[in-house]
Amino acid sequence: MKRNLTQALEHWIAEGIRSIGQISITPQPEGGFELRHLEDAGRDDLTLHTSALDARGLSFFDDAKAYRPLKTAPTLRHGWRLQVQTAQELRIALDYFYPAMTALWQSQLAGELRPVALRETLNRQTGMYAATKRLQDEEGQQLVGRHCAATSCTKRIMWEFAPGQPLTELSEQKRWPAPEGTHAIPLICQEACNHLVPACREVVKKRERAAG
Amino acid sequence: MFHKPDSALIIVGHGSTVNPDSSAPTFDHAEVLLRQKAFGEVHCAFWKEEPSLRQVLHMVDSEDVYIVPNFISEGYFTRTIIPRELELDGPLTHRNGRTLKYCEPVGNHARMSELLLKRAAEVAPGVPTKECSLLIVGHGTNLNDNSAFAAKREVDRIRDMGLYGEVFNTYMEEAPLVSEWDAYTTCPNVIVVPFFIADGLHSYQDIPVLLGIEQDTGLAASQRDIFRLNPYHLRGRTLYYASAIGTEPLFSDLILDQAALFDTQHSTSHPTA
Ligand code: SF4
Repeated sequence: MKRNLTQALEHWIAEGIRSIGQISITPQPEGGFELRHLEDAGRDDLTLHTSALDARGLSFFDDAKAYRPLKTAPTLRHGWRLQVQTAQELRIALDYFYPAMTALWQSQLAGELRPVALRETLNRQTGMYAATKRLQDEEGQQLVGRHCAATSCTKRIMWEFAPGQPLTELSEQKRWPAPEGTHAIPLICQEACNHLVPACREVVKKRERAAG
Repeated sequence: MFHKPDSALIIVGHGSTVNPDSSAPTFDHAEVLLRQKAFGEVHCAFWKEEPSLRQVLHMVDSEDVYIVPNFISEGYFTRTIIPRELELDGPLTHRNGRTLKYCEPVGNHARMSELLLKRAAEVAPGVPTKECSLLIVGHGTNLNDNSAFAAKREVDRIRDMGLYGEVFNTYMEEAPLVSEWDAYTTCPNVIVVPFFIADGLHSYQDIPVLLGIEQDTGLAASQRDIFRLNPYHLRGRTLYYASAIGTEPLFSDLILDQAALFDTQHSTSHPTA
């Protein structure tokens, strides 16, 4: 089952896909693609980049030059445009801006993406994160609502709290599936990330400390 | 030359939620290997950054996948976390039509001593090695981590070569302590090389403060200029401080070698169905 994400990307764009997250993807008349911040549409004072590898530097810091540990945080910096010549380069650039997001979408379309319930992720933890097994339902639901809020992370959550137990505190923007007809590659969270897991640990530890 | 146009390479790093320095060398080595075209595809994956170990396999086109941990030694990450998160069965995993080849961590490579020597020579050019004490800074001997053992092995190898006046292991929180470097070294010149995979708070801040070449200014790691001010004159000696060994560009060769070594150790080219 050899896959070809580069071809898939080309195909999606031919079918009308024009954005991912905060980035617009514009096929160029002379071939190639241009990426820029969606909010920079129409600006003509942007700094031009022509290497897909420049996406790494552009994706790592926000407008205030602060480190962005979570690439789907809605804090993509402004002021640049990136022109790449091939779909292969586009793939590399998007893997820096939104790591794994085009790939997860491809897996989802192929029916190969298995969402993992939060409980399953937590029950797998060892070492210092084994404490997350003691997360209680109510505090866990509240935490996910807070920690994963669209103001911090723009992925849509596919996973349940536990099998058969849906998440209760998600806003509409955080729910899967994404609305259709947006011409955007959706950002998928198929399993709790390694920011949420430590946050679960903090909640457990705080409660246990308070209880003495 | 190892050439695998139909295979993918995944380099696994630790990553950090607080600074970009931790993953930088892993991305650097991946970019070098991508340009060399030794593999059809090259991806990175991290414990603390994206793409995560849980996501990365979706990014791979190829059916033949080499996974090389960019870690300084075997330990909790290479033995527990990485196999668990990638759902590996052992060195060789067959799943969904794919072959996943789990290689040894980069730090195990036999050429590590050579890289340490190269780094030491670069940081103190023209300084006669016989008049130098070479210090290799390791993490301590904490739980589940063999990095201290790996650092000792490197020191033993380098000492046996007889190139340097003296060679020591040193640690941040256990003896022989980094902060007491002038007590156990005797040469007029002292070269310090951190045996870490990346520059981060330890190499930019903690170790320089312990060595006495830096005040604790609280400046962000990436804003520091600590390696460009060599040599430092203090405590009656001349001290040269190198950046973490994992930032050495030749590390990408070692990553490639670990993949090649896997094939030598496991004749896997024709797995039985
Ligand atoms: S768990 Fe998913 S939705 Fe929540 S912050 Fe992490 S990546 Fe975003």
